[in-house]
Amino acid sequence: MEHSRRRVVITGMGWITPLGQDLEDVWKKLLAGESGIAPTTLFDARSFPTTFAAEVKNYALPENLAGSAKHQQIGRATGFALAAARQAWRQAGLPLPGAPEYAQLDPYSIGMYMGSGEGSLNFDTYTRTALAAWEDQTHSVNMRIWGERALKSFHPLGEIEQEPCMPLTHLSLEFNARGPALNCLTACAASTQALGEAMEIIRHGDAQVMISGGAHSMIHPFGVTGFNRLTALSTFNENPRRACRPFDATRGGFVLGEGAGILILESLEHAANRQATILAEIVGYGSSADAYRVTDQHPEGRGAIVAIEQALHDAGMTPADIDYINAHGTGTRENDSTETLAIKRVFGDRARKTPISSIKSMMGHLIAAAGAVEAITCVLAIRDQVLPPTANYTVPDPECDLDYVPNTARPAKVDVAMSNSFGFGGQNDTLIIKRFTP
Amino acid sequence: MRRVVITGSGAISPHGLNAADLWKGLLAGRSSTALLTQFDSSAFPSRVAGGVGPFKTTDYIPKSYRKAAKIMARDIELAVVAADGAVRDARLATRGIVESSGGGKPDGAWFAVESRRIGCNIGAGLISADLNELTAAMAQARQPDGTLSLARWGRSDDPSKPGGMDQLTPLWLLKYLPNMLACHVSIIHDTQGPSNTITCGQASAGLALAEACRTIQRGYEDIALVGGCESMIHAMGLMRWTLLGRLNTTSNQQPEKAVRPLDQTAAGTVIAEGGAVLVIEELNHARARSATIYCEIAGLGGSSSASGVSRPDASGEALAVAMSKALRDAQIGPEAVQMVIPPGYAIPEFDRADVCAIHRVFGQKPGAAVVPMRGGIGDCGAGAQAIDLVAAAMAIREQTIPPVVNCDQPPEHLDVPRTARRQVEIRNILIAASSLAGQNSVVILRKLD
Repeated sequence: MEHSRRRVVITGMGWITPLGQDLEDVWKKLLAGESGIAPTTLFDARSFPTTFAAEVKNYALPENLAGSAKHQQIGRATGFALAAARQAWRQAGLPLPGAPEYAQLDPYSIGMYMGSGEGSLNFDTYTRTALAAWEDQTHSVNMRIWGERALKSFHPLGEIEQEPCMPLTHLSLEFNARGPALNCLTACAASTQALGEAMEIIRHGDAQVMISGGAHSMIHPFGVTGFNRLTALSTFNENPRRACRPFDATRGGFVLGEGAGILILESLEHAANRQATILAEIVGYGSSADAYRVTDQHPEGRGAIVAIEQALHDAGMTPADIDYINAHGTGTRENDSTETLAIKRVFGDRARKTPISSIKSMMGHLIAAAGAVEAITCVLAIRDQVLPPTANYTVPDPECDLDYVPNTARPAKVDVAMSNSFGFGGQNDTLIIKRFTP
Repeated sequence: MRRVVITGSGAISPHGLNAADLWKGLLAGRSSTALLTQFDSSAFPSRVAGGVGPFKTTDYIPKSYRKAAKIMARDIELAVVAADGAVRDARLATRGIVESSGGGKPDGAWFAVESRRIGCNIGAGLISADLNELTAAMAQARQPDGTLSLARWGRSDDPSKPGGMDQLTPLWLLKYLPNMLACHVSIIHDTQGPSNTITCGQASAGLALAEACRTIQRGYEDIALVGGCESMIHAMGLMRWTLLGRLNTTSNQQPEKAVRPLDQTAAGTVIAEGGAVLVIEELNHARARSATIYCEIAGLGGSSSASGVSRPDASGEALAVAMSKALRDAQIGPEAVQMVIPPGYAIPEFDRADVCAIHRVFGQKPGAAVVPMRGGIGDCGAGAQAIDLVAAAMAIREQTIPPVVNCDQPPEHLDVPRTARRQVEIRNILIAASSLAGQNSVVILRKLD
């Protein structure tokens, strides 16, 4: 471990989630075990194997963003990212461009590292254009017809806004952030990886402030199609609120969610100089690849173990230092038993003594944005000395035999929290967040 | 601090299926853009593309993993081929090489890789679903008015028949996830170190290289496969770039002359496909195994233009800042750079912004040769800067500056070579990229003494 590196602290947080759009309000709901999962309304999903999702409800762009010429035709996830970043920026006490205090900031020292997903296809235009050009005889799309219609029907900005780097572009415009700008898309691990790498950029001195987190929405017909074909989603249509049952013996898949989580990371020096309120410190990051199969996790949790071990090593900690694990805990049969196994391998005797919970039981799986809202949850758990529960836990599974904080929030001493994210395809990331002490 | 060098390069581009072919094409000043034949593009005003010649992906995959080729979109296939070339060039006896049937068996001189100490960081673009495959499924749920019936998409009215979505292979989604480039490559070569997928358009590969370089410097891995690949040659790519006004629509009669970076007559780019993967490695690690070293990674810099969507930062300020950061990181001044590879899209307003950035850093009469690489290739998105990085590594190894294709009337005061230059000392090359959305990445490669 290198001791000369800069310390990295969290000074602002914001989220747009299926449980709400206000930091404290959502946190209260998580502690109360409430569910953000309900029948799908964004499109008619009644014929789909899964008819429910964890949607962001009543979402409208904040007034001053909606009218902005800078943010035309933005995708749903980009809107989430902008709104969550506004909250985080405000909590961090940072001035907006145009304010006189902004002159004290160096725009080139403000970077961004997001784990944002791709935007959604323009469903109506895409399907109409494709079907109009489909020829049953040749069993193919007539490209002449498709091209002519497509050039008249698609909106250039609406199309380009689907690029996964677009949230960066809009955040950059909104906050005049001109430092290093990166987006990674490692499926369900993306925003945990983004936060870890954002921390490394500050540690290395390439930026003083990083806007980091994730934003994603795959709740559209083709997104749900993809996951339904993979049989990864819960099909517990009779009771959506109970559909996601992480670590429970009856668990049967994850629930697709959407939203954004954004954290403002800062070098300790920069935060201290401007007398910012420090919410927590990020002290450890580990990253690995399963290199096993694109369809399955390594059955012994090989990659997960490496990510967890590396994060501990990076933080200079041992399992005894970890007070709480915010699990990846998707509610699929495979993830929850593999994650349990990996925790046991690394934590040994400490595994049974370390509380673990999955907020996906309430919030659904925000895919690329999941890690960011889970990192925020860790900071709030440290702040309030309370652990959010794993909801819907009723039937113990012999393969998942640890303490999952079932159903009820629990007061606890929490100085250090670990957050795991394991991506579809085998990319794994772990963060360690600690109570800030000067 | 641990120093990081390049020890292998693999490229797949319109010039050919490996890095040697890319270099040959560049040295010869060849153009490989041609009339688009991959699909009927007659409805589009730009009908030129930089396509990759035929190849069989399964030739690059060990037998035990060949089934996976069925779920690889074109972008993933490109990365698999490029990674194979890079790993072979670096003489790494990875699982993929040891278990492969063709391409030459490794002997004792090859290095047996420790899987946990090798990472993979491959940039990717937005991968579009195959239009025919998806529409064939949609046609099962078409309504008389021509729209898709969501009621018949999930399941059919007739329980004996499948619904629309059931026409899609169960693993359909996995073909199109951008992280699958890195995931398949890490499985084939058993790289268990950090793995990432950076999706920042044309700046992706430099950002990926930079991140992996820092990870090696921190000691978390010794080797990484880095780069980026993308195919823009599909219906959605052509439609999107056409609508954004990025494509040349006046050179269909002379497709090889379509992309004219920095030229006074530049009139847009063409859709292309390709990319590259490089092996980067800690210097002492490379020396201990007697690896052939191309060059050192000397400087890195990044920035964001905050200029908006598909709109260049006309001042060139942000790109210039990224260049200056990389120079500082390399501890050199601009006079120490012999060659600059600018983004060079051949889209006039973007080219002008590049030129402004170059002048800001290198002065009114830059001493370095300015060598954009897009001329005979076109825009291969996340693969673009990866190709530039391989070109730069080759230029340092061969001590040769390749000529620029299709730039007959370069901007005043810029030294844009029209023929290959061999009688020069090339110590430092600066490779700059800007994505269409304002992310910039700059890398400086240096000849190793």
